[in-house]
Amino acid sequence: MSAALAVSGRILAAPAAIPVLAVLAAFAVGLLLIVATGASLGQAISAFSQGAFGSAYAISVSLNRATVYALVGIGFVIAARAGLTNVGGEGQIAMGGIMATAVAVHGGVAGLPLGLAVILPVLAASLAGGLWGGLAGVLKVRAGTNEVISTLLLSFIAIWIVYWCVQSTDLLRQPMTSAATLPESATVPASTMVPLLTGSYAAPVTVGVVIALILAVVAAVLLARSVFGFRLRFVGLNPIAAARAGIPVERMTVLALFIAGALGGLAGAIMLLGEQHSLKTGFSSGYGFDGLVVGLLARGRISGVIAGALLFGFLRSGGITMEMAAGVPTALVQIVQGLIVISIAGAAYWMDRRASR
Amino acid sequence: MNEELLAVFVASTIRLATPLLLAAIGELLSEKAGVLNMSVEGMMLTGAFAAAAGASLSGSPVMGLVCGLVAVIPLSLLQAFLTNTLRANQIVTGLGINIFVLGATTLGYRELFGARSREVIPGFDKWNPPILGDIPVIGQTIFEQVWLVYLVIPVAIAVWYLLARTGLGVAIKAAGAAPRTVAHSGLSVTLIRYGVIMATGLLAALGGIFLSIGDIHTFTEGMTRGAGYLAIAAVIFGNWKLGQTIVACLVFGAATALQFQLPALGIDAPNALLIMMPYLLAFIAVSGLVGRQSAPRTLAQPYWK
Repeated sequence: MSAALAVSGRILAAPAAIPVLAVLAAFAVGLLLIVATGASLGQAISAFSQGAFGSAYAISVSLNRATVYALVGIGFVIAARAGLTNVGGEGQIAMGGIMATAVAVHGGVAGLPLGLAVILPVLAASLAGGLWGGLAGVLKVRAGTNEVISTLLLSFIAIWIVYWCVQSTDLLRQPMTSAATLPESATVPASTMVPLLTGSYAAPVTVGVVIALILAVVAAVLLARSVFGFRLRFVGLNPIAAARAGIPVERMTVLALFIAGALGGLAGAIMLLGEQHSLKTGFSSGYGFDGLVVGLLARGRISGVIAGALLFGFLRSGGITMEMAAGVPTALVQIVQGLIVISIAGAAYWMDRRASR
Repeated sequence: MNEELLAVFVASTIRLATPLLLAAIGELLSEKAGVLNMSVEGMMLTGAFAAAAGASLSGSPVMGLVCGLVAVIPLSLLQAFLTNTLRANQIVTGLGINIFVLGATTLGYRELFGARSREVIPGFDKWNPPILGDIPVIGQTIFEQVWLVYLVIPVAIAVWYLLARTGLGVAIKAAGAAPRTVAHSGLSVTLIRYGVIMATGLLAALGGIFLSIGDIHTFTEGMTRGAGYLAIAAVIFGNWKLGQTIVACLVFGAATALQFQLPALGIDAPNALLIMMPYLLAFIAVSGLVGRQSAPRTLAQPYWK
């Protein structure tokens, strides 16, 4: 009896099995839908793979997306360790993008040597994102505001601050835009652009990928091995006991949300200075919310963040090409993405139940 | 602003607030019972799409209304099953459902309407109530509205009565404040939370139905444009109280109406500020600047026996 239990336990304990099954099931639905819409399955699949990883360019674009998802996801996991749910990735990206543009275009950094022309706007953007996240932390500590609600509201506020910035010439709108073009900021000076890994626009993957990987390793080590990681976990598991044990719970709360926000701000800066080069309305277009989902699905593991970020990064890029080349609407990718989220979130029931045994 | 412009402003405030009111009153019920129902956006969009599809295929707005309400039931059941039976994270399931619905309705719309996408869909006509409609100036502008607008009044009264005067209302509020106590008294927290999510679904769908076949008689991809999130903001700004939530929706409706009115009045205010206003007000409300907040104690937490 006990032997049988141990065996079945071992099979079920394969930690990746359930999310992988959920993803496969969602993909199967996607394939069925392609057939149902009357598009050619072969054509759709080849267009999808072309767009996701068919060329150096496609892979680069997918990796750049994954970078943003990973940074937001890492931040989410760090905050989650302290028992906090950071729903504010979208706003933190937006604030990062605004700050990066402001410093790069109007901060007089373009002529600075030693890479400072890039480093300063990126740091300023991280700080802006960090403050946007930390604000939710301060509210939680001071007014008891649920951080889910405050970070969500801060996201929407930030989205419209972007809109405001690009609409108003007193802010970041470049005065040259004509009535025919959409309002946007001036293009950032070349010296402030986040460099490309390959140095070529044929494969425009930015240094951001490396930064995200390094930060992922740092975060994993910090969370698993450092006093900081231990304190975060203690605060998350039992804030009252943590306070008794002399851990500054309030400071840890603000710090955790600040770090999450700073990573979001960094993601915004990399997106803006690495790929888009000028601020437009909706420049973060759902990256923050997707990144949040990646963080949630990772279930506390940095390795999970990387896997989820890559999955979503390639999924999005492939979907866009599928629409252009095979006439399959990207809406289909949204359906698959939604199903992945729903099924993995639901599967948590089985995963948690097992973990608690 | 002269009388006529003022009347137009009030009329469009009410019209723009209507979908928010229906969804927010539903969301309030959910949140009172401890469920932060983020999928309210997807529920509205489902109602809007199914109503448009039903009305277009049958030629009858009433059939559209029925389709909108029926279509949201499986979606609400899914949300309820995920968050109450599987105890999945309420935020992630909500966002997942919203992504799914946005994709599904966009795809469905293209499949169904494709080439006919500019066609006007049969919808509800405006209705001029007796007596009120005969008042000069405001009768024609303020009171001539689609009947769904007037539906808000009985819905609000019913929800007020439910929460303030009935045992079920006490149980709903207790499910959000002290679920364990509810379970000890022999009631099922799970069942209560299923119920409020179903009710939220129907009310949010009504809001969406108003958008598509009540207000503009057409469907556009993602036409709710975050109205569901606004409804959540209204509940927060309304401090989880019915009266204040209704006021919040009207304020949000007025802010939206102002966007269209200010240019006509020659006032150059930043548009972004007006659009941002609902979220900013809700944020100010939760930051403790305007008195104590009374969020349901177990909001967004799954209930484990």
